[in-house]
Amino acid sequence: MLAYQEKPVKIIVPIKQVPETGNVKMDPQTGTMIRSGAAAVVNPLDLYAIEAALRLRERHGGSVTVVSMGPPAAIKAIREAIAMGCDGGVLVSDRKFAGSDTWATSYTLAAAIRWMGGSDLIVAGERATDGDTAQVGPGLAAWLDVPLATYVAHITHASEAGISVERLTEEGYQQVELALPALLTVVKEIATVRLPTLRGKKRARQTEVPLLTAADLDLDGARLGLKGSPTKVVKIARPKVARGGERVAVNGDPAAAVDALIAFLEQRQLVTGGRQ
Amino acid sequence: MKSHTQATVYNAVTPAVIEELIGLLGASNVLLEHERIEAYAHDETSAEEYGHMPEVVVTPVDANQVAAVVKLANRTGIPITPRGAGSGLSGGAVPVFGGILLSVEKMNRVIEIDYDNMVVVAESGIVTNEINALVAEKGLFYAGYPMSLETCFLGGNIAENAGGGKAIKYGVTGRYIQGLELVTPTGEIVWLGGKLAKDVSGYDLKQLVIGSEGTLGIVTKAIVRLIGLPTARADLLVLFEGPKEAIDMVPVIMAHGIVPTSIEFMDQLSVQTSCRYLNESLAYQDAGAMLLIEVDGTSAEQVEADLIAVGDLCEEHGAIEVYVAEDHNTMERVWSVRRNIAEAFKVYSPVQSLEDIVVPIAAIPDVIPELQRISTAYGMQIPCYGHAGDGNLHATLVKDPQMSMDSWRENQDKALRDLYAVTRRLGGKISGEHGIGIKRKAYLGELIDPVELGLMRAIKRAWDPANIMNPGKIFDLA
Repeated sequence: MLAYQEKPVKIIVPIKQVPETGNVKMDPQTGTMIRSGAAAVVNPLDLYAIEAALRLRERHGGSVTVVSMGPPAAIKAIREAIAMGCDGGVLVSDRKFAGSDTWATSYTLAAAIRWMGGSDLIVAGERATDGDTAQVGPGLAAWLDVPLATYVAHITHASEAGISVERLTEEGYQQVELALPALLTVVKEIATVRLPTLRGKKRARQTEVPLLTAADLDLDGARLGLKGSPTKVVKIARPKVARGGERVAVNGDPAAAVDALIAFLEQRQLVTGGRQ
Repeated sequence: MKSHTQATVYNAVTPAVIEELIGLLGASNVLLEHERIEAYAHDETSAEEYGHMPEVVVTPVDANQVAAVVKLANRTGIPITPRGAGSGLSGGAVPVFGGILLSVEKMNRVIEIDYDNMVVVAESGIVTNEINALVAEKGLFYAGYPMSLETCFLGGNIAENAGGGKAIKYGVTGRYIQGLELVTPTGEIVWLGGKLAKDVSGYDLKQLVIGSEGTLGIVTKAIVRLIGLPTARADLLVLFEGPKEAIDMVPVIMAHGIVPTSIEFMDQLSVQTSCRYLNESLAYQDAGAMLLIEVDGTSAEQVEADLIAVGDLCEEHGAIEVYVAEDHNTMERVWSVRRNIAEAFKVYSPVQSLEDIVVPIAAIPDVIPELQRISTAYGMQIPCYGHAGDGNLHATLVKDPQMSMDSWRENQDKALRDLYAVTRRLGGKISGEHGIGIKRKAYLGELIDPVELGLMRAIKRAWDPANIMNPGKIFDLA
């Protein structure tokens, strides 16, 4: 087993390397992403988790460590996180993990976090921009048996005993208090993400990133990778966008056009009492 | 809208002329309705200040039709104004004497992609950026693009010899135009240059046309040189205490041996206004100025090494912070601050004068205190940003929303004369990439050597004896 150094207050941020979505192309035949040529980056939504963790560290001290499961090239994502200011990172990489669904991924990551000696707080992104499931964060909380708050928009208070957060819900915000250790998944509203610095980048290049394989972790071999994944992808299809809509020709008077639009919206109960 | 007096008197577009134009081009290529031709009355400069309605807009589909219209204009004494996408910044495409506005918008075909000679031959109405989309898969690109690349046309870029954010490494439009088809001001069609790397067979008329702002003819086709597409790029956003520290850095970087693709300068006012507009909370509060530096290349390792070398250099010279942007999202984030400066100031005050001065690189530090002095003296904000790597600064005079329009006009004129005098004293010129057009015409005469101006007028008279080709631009003949 590799040695891992501990610091007193520990925050762990699980991150994922994803294809850069700025200019991703889809194969219209198979409905899958054309990965050749697409650069890989830290899942953009994980950056908010890193930012939230760094801000907690700035206020309360301690350390922020990232952990990622992926191919050896995913070490780049860990170095990017260190360049932003994280103290270190751990890469979990083994062919045996290939094809893991969210269940197998969270199972493996939970073992890695135990290997790291556990943590006081885990901060995860809302979801990854490629798989879009938002399941690995909650899955981790279940495997580690720690309380979970998803869609966290604000951290209002944090102490050794617990953490108070506001969750973003469809109606507004829900205030939740959690005992530590706990796991949060955060939304964009939590903070504006900082840029990596040159100093951080140079430090990241020199930081040793432990590489964990299946042999390093306490794992049940039957629960790993594609074999251990209960999710089976049957078919990937591109949804057809069928925007019906109706075109209403409005001639001449702008006031009449506005009236027509309001009538249209009122008829569908999309606006009420708008007219004075 | 202003009137533009000139000794030449032009004839109006009569119903008979319209009839003839329809005969030459077909009715669908001759626009007369006010609502339709209104959009052709201005470019990106203020419509109120510089705009002027054309009498008729024509959209010919090939060089023969263009030539026929030009011959008609010569015969009838009607001025003709060529126009690309209308994204110009000096009023070059504004039909200041009315007459015929000739838009190349329907000449937008790619004639040939010649990979053996590494060129694309295209018509002048093609959107410049489309060229890159066509050749990217072959690992090639056209490097002479300006900032408005999503909209501007190749023909307009050639007319203005447009530059842009990557000029320090890649140069401007003229470097990549190997040949062009021109309809002369007398209506002849001629090819200048060719698919040639070298050509000294007589005067370089092709380069004379490039940047002539449509006064020496209408470009209908061009041979565009392609180069290898860089496969890796990365940015540094560097914060400095003040503009002097930032600007002093530019010659240091240039002398170091790595040629960045861009060194963009942004002063505090520019950064803060743009960040507020974008709701961007970069740690700009402590910074008096920023540089946005881009390096590119064909290997990620080399780009990273260059990035670190330039970054180290900035840190050695007192940078407060050096941020790195190496992925698409982060690079877009830092560039959007630079790209949105002009837009952000329009929210504060839509009345402004976007300037385009260019000075020797070593003189850039001397410009900044002068801008501050001028800003105070004439009661206006002058955010300063631009292509610091090539000495081309877009200092922008922004009207205080409280100031009356009359005071603004008076102060703007004084401030511009002051700014241009400073520019000349530093060995600079009043336009680096936007052109003179009508916006700077009144100032050029005082700043240019009379011998040089005389030569330019002689060329114009020789090429365009009837003075019908984009008259009223750059200089008056009288």
